[in-house]
Amino acid sequence: MFAVYKKELKTYVCTPIGYVFIGLFLLILSLMFYVGIFSSQYINFEYLFYDGTTIILFTLPLLTMRLFSEERKNGTDQLLFTSPRSITSIVLGKFFAAVTIVLIAELFTLMYFFILNYFGNPSLPIALTTLLGFFLFCISGIAIGMFVSSITENQIISAFATIGVFLLMLFGPQLTNLFKPFYTVYFFQESFLTGLVKLKSVILFIALTVLFILLTIIGLQKRKSLK
Amino acid sequence: MIKVKNVTKKYDNFYAVRNINFEIKDGEIVGFLGRNGAGKTTTMNLITGFIEPTEGEIFVNGFNIDIKPKKAKAQIGYMPEGTPLYTDLTVREFVNYMAELKLVPKKERRTAVDEAIKATGLEKVQDNLTRNLSRGYKQRVSFAGAIVGNPKILILDEPTVGLDPKQVIEIRELIKSFRKDHTVLISSHILSEISQLCERVIIIDKGEIVAVDTPSNLESKTSGNLCLDIVVDDLNNSIMTLKDNIEEIEEIKLLETKEDSTKEYIITTSSTNDIRKKIFAECSKAEISILEMKKYENSLEDAFIKLVEDRPEYSQKEVNKMQYEKEIEEIRAEMDNKRLEKENRKQAIKEEKARKKAEKEAKKDAKKSEENNEEGGNK
Repeated sequence: MFAVYKKELKTYVCTPIGYVFIGLFLLILSLMFYVGIFSSQYINFEYLFYDGTTIILFTLPLLTMRLFSEERKNGTDQLLFTSPRSITSIVLGKFFAAVTIVLIAELFTLMYFFILNYFGNPSLPIALTTLLGFFLFCISGIAIGMFVSSITENQIISAFATIGVFLLMLFGPQLTNLFKPFYTVYFFQESFLTGLVKLKSVILFIALTVLFILLTIIGLQKRKSLK
Repeated sequence: MIKVKNVTKKYDNFYAVRNINFEIKDGEIVGFLGRNGAGKTTTMNLITGFIEPTEGEIFVNGFNIDIKPKKAKAQIGYMPEGTPLYTDLTVREFVNYMAELKLVPKKERRTAVDEAIKATGLEKVQDNLTRNLSRGYKQRVSFAGAIVGNPKILILDEPTVGLDPKQVIEIRELIKSFRKDHTVLISSHILSEISQLCERVIIIDKGEIVAVDTPSNLESKTSGNLCLDIVVDDLNNSIMTLKDNIEEIEEIKLLETKEDSTKEYIITTSSTNDIRKKIFAECSKAEISILEMKKYENSLEDAFIKLVEDRPEYSQKEVNKMQYEKEIEEIRAEMDNKRLEKENRKQAIKEEKARKKAEKEAKKDAKKSEENNEEGGNK
């Protein structure tokens, strides 16, 4: 797993993808911070993440779209899947590399806390629960994006399909009760942003993450017999 | 050692490979020949575990690729067709990543990477990004990725495509150097390469194995009657009289009249016997000077063409029929087995009954003799 993790992380660092993701995420977040918080002198760190969830829904596919689609398109999946590494270790290596990039982006958001701290007194416990919730929200998104990437060899289709799934999760619950369990934005907002770590929300995010990682592994395993 | 046993790969109603069987022994270099779409790459993908067979088993150094994929794959160095590379890595990084994927221990990794880079002549470009390399170099990088960590089995899909003649020779020499302690399976369209490198050749066509033999055996088995290529100085134009005097000659065909008025002919015979002595004698009588005479050798290319051409193209109906017949055969075999089992069981029950009966009788006899003894004692 570590070999794949290292290589993937290197790809994120050596190609523009990692920088574009972090840069775009922070740029939009900074604009939101300036317009919504800084100029209205509203000392509230967690308020920023109401918009943060929407931003990440559109920027996260940048990270996940290439995870398996690129390998398939370039034929390098032959190198990966004919090596003695298990599919599980390959999937986890790729997953954790994307998680690391998201973690780096999230650490950068701490600067908003320090700026607010300079001018006022934002709540540290709420800031920490917000960051924890946002992290869990993101990792479930990565797992979903990775699964979508594993079923197509076109990166653009992978990105748009991931955004489509995210939008369905965002607006679906308002249309039908079928999507209620996947209403992650709501669970994030009503739990972590209020400073509460609700077990139900934590379990939901972790369950979603595990479910889509398993689906990716099963899908890749299944494809061996279909290829 | 690679053992492919009754392997079939089927996509819906299309058979990519059908019931193939072959074995490659340790230290052998075997060539895999076939036309485009014959099933070469599919077979290689099956052996490397990239895809799973619909039926059959594959053993790599004794490990079943389906049951123990990790152990089986650890034995293989695979160079896929089309040289897929990670273009954002340098040559050294790529080879190192391949070594990591192949579980080469950390202590040995550096040496293994150095050896692979040296063997493939990539020292000068080892710090270049793979995307900036020429096709020939990319091919070498892919080859270095396959040989890093010294795997026991090498599977090379078109290893010399895109290389210049010097590089082709170098790569061939490199492959030859693996002969002693490696098993190598090479697919190639270049037949001369296969006949130079390989001890045995597997010819596949339309997903089925057509022949497994040495190149020379294939050449001789598929060669027909003797043909001779002869260059003569025949001022009287009397060479055609040979046909009347030597009965084995079927046809004498003028190939070329050269600048110095000498002529090259192809003589086709009706037998496999060498008639060069007879021709020599007859030419001498007819005052024809022979400047050159050689047997027209059957090449591996000829053998390949003869083996794969005119093979029947099965229609879907025929494929279904064959499948149906195979299934019927399997059902029959199963029924036979069941019948045999039933008979064995009946036999076993009979024997058991007989044994018990014999035991009972023996007991009865023993009891009787005891009673007789007692009666005798009482008296």
